[in-house]
Amino acid sequence: MTGGETPLMDKLQILTDAAKYDVACTSSGVDRKGNGKSIGNCVAAGICHSFSGDGRCISLLKILLTNECAFDCKYCRNRNSNDIPRATFSPEEICTLTMEFYRRNYIEGLFLSSGILRDPTFTMELICRTVWLLRNKYRFNGYVHVKAIPGADPEVIERTGFLVDRMSVNLELPTREGLHALAPNKHRKTILTPMRQIQNGILANKNEVALYRNAPKFVAGGQSTQMIVGATPESDYQIINVAEGLYQKFGLKRVFYSAFVNVTGDKCLPALPGGPPLLREHRLYQADWLLRFYGFRAEELLDEKRPFFNVLLDPKEDWAVRNLGEFPVEINRASIEQLLRVPGIGVKSAKRIVAARRNGDLSFADLKKIGVVLKRAVYFVTCSGRMMYPVKLEEDYIVRGLTDEKSRIRLGSDGMSYRQMTLFDDMDFTGPISAAERLATAVGQL
Amino acid sequence: MVVYRCQDSLESIFTAIFRAYEEKRNHEETMLCLTDDPIFFAEDIAVSPDAEKTHRVMNTLKRRFGTDNYLSLCMALASEDQEKAQAVYRTVVSGLRRGCRQGQLFDNLADRDVHKAFALARSVSTEVGHQKQFLRFQELDNGLLYSRIGPKYDVLVFIMPHFADRLPIENFVIYDEKRSLFGIHPAQKEWYFFRGEDGDKVTVPGLSEDEMTYQELFRQFCHTITIEGRRNVQLQKGMLPLRFREYMVEFQ
Repeated sequence: MTGGETPLMDKLQILTDAAKYDVACTSSGVDRKGNGKSIGNCVAAGICHSFSGDGRCISLLKILLTNECAFDCKYCRNRNSNDIPRATFSPEEICTLTMEFYRRNYIEGLFLSSGILRDPTFTMELICRTVWLLRNKYRFNGYVHVKAIPGADPEVIERTGFLVDRMSVNLELPTREGLHALAPNKHRKTILTPMRQIQNGILANKNEVALYRNAPKFVAGGQSTQMIVGATPESDYQIINVAEGLYQKFGLKRVFYSAFVNVTGDKCLPALPGGPPLLREHRLYQADWLLRFYGFRAEELLDEKRPFFNVLLDPKEDWAVRNLGEFPVEINRASIEQLLRVPGIGVKSAKRIVAARRNGDLSFADLKKIGVVLKRAVYFVTCSGRMMYPVKLEEDYIVRGLTDEKSRIRLGSDGMSYRQMTLFDDMDFTGPISAAERLATAVGQL
Repeated sequence: MVVYRCQDSLESIFTAIFRAYEEKRNHEETMLCLTDDPIFFAEDIAVSPDAEKTHRVMNTLKRRFGTDNYLSLCMALASEDQEKAQAVYRTVVSGLRRGCRQGQLFDNLADRDVHKAFALARSVSTEVGHQKQFLRFQELDNGLLYSRIGPKYDVLVFIMPHFADRLPIENFVIYDEKRSLFGIHPAQKEWYFFRGEDGDKVTVPGLSEDEMTYQELFRQFCHTITIEGRRNVQLQKGMLPLRFREYMVEFQ
């Protein structure tokens, strides 16, 4: 059970610890039946097999191939000037762990990233070889997500793309300036180049698969990226603009946001006495959902004059309160686009409303059955011309209704007006995001 | 009023639905009932399950409503609600009457019975999902993978196909300890059920040599992956309810 000098258990500990700040752990986007001969299949929705003590999902065996790293990024635990134990997995060790964990239904597949060993191309080649072994020798048919290492030879990235389900290149920080300040070895251009390459590869492959049904698939689950939030002074407005750009121009499947955790204590980094900016991260995810599934544009949610999300209201409530002219919306007649903009109505409930009203007018009781969160929606909808109870379409009144008393007191606001979050003041708003809230985001019940 | 008295099984309930149509009942005046509770001024008809009638109902439902909706009806019937038979019967009647297209059986959520069947199906489907997530196999010393589960509903029939597709070359057994039911999958063959007697003691042979090592490795992994600065046990509990943990190696 041991490889090299370090026992497997210690290696796993070191290389899990080194990988845990990477956010993406989804196993979604690919529907692949088992082939009857080898181990594994993929389910489009993805499956979370466990949840760690921080409430994040454990879906993939998330490890680094090595935490040796030639780079010295200031925010990263594995920067070469950091004095920590180092370890490197052999490809066989990774394959065995993946297979044995997978058979026992611990995981949905492998997430493999790596520090930069020697140079980017050499590292990418190692990743590629490991996945090749896993697919061909161990005949693993489950989900594989790997990082494309910026600066690696495009040919290796291309070869790897045909073996994996998802690839991601980390944007690391939202802007060029931020990247320059904290990651001296990384450049925006080297990050965007493989991203573009993968995008083009996916497109070209779609045509090929349309032509030849059995053509090998290239990154079938699409590509994703992640950026760190709160390490550099970018505003939420800048961040969601970047995200919107990535979705539109690079065809990304997902952008992940990672609340900055200060693990290196570098003096260039902000100290976070209140812990990582979790609420801010949560708001960004909510906004991200609005961009992808609700037909919102970034500039509708925020603008230069109000570049940060509201502490008390989620981005959709915030938008609704600022655009009361669009409301109330008549449930029995409104288009699905209009319904999607109502707080308390998610993608599923909007679809259900449209399907159910074909059979007759809906009442508020019916909306409840359908899964609409009436607590939020009452201010914004009518059923057959009536509101549920008399409601003033007035900003302060609605804000008071949407927020609960406790958080108003905690924030020293009487709820008369709602204020914006500035960069650091959500640090004293450390109320944890509840499971219900997280779930609501996940299933899109914003 | 006519009341079909069924047993709590898919076969029995589908047979009753078949008979309600075969005997040309007025569906507004007909009920499916799983209990013996007396209903006054009603004609009781005992239903004994019939394989052929069940199959004909299954085929009709699949053809008219599509596989997904058919599966939802089956899931609703796997729940433990006393009124599930009536809700499913009414949903089928309303679907056939409306001539609804495939995939639209549950559109009319404003309807009481459709909503009931929908809610039951969703609840069972959630349990199926949870089992696919949280079930754990142990490797026994003969190489067989063994899993013990205690699901809220009778969902083994819905999870076996998932694992049979995923692990075709493995011999595995999933044991529902609440219902003394075994799902058995021999490598490269069709899976089947084996029903034990209540009170049967299941003796599991010893674990394989490496089993404890991998359990320990996974526990280590789950422990290490937690970011202390983000610790949030409430969130964890919401996503992974406590009742599953006794079956999961990482919580032992």
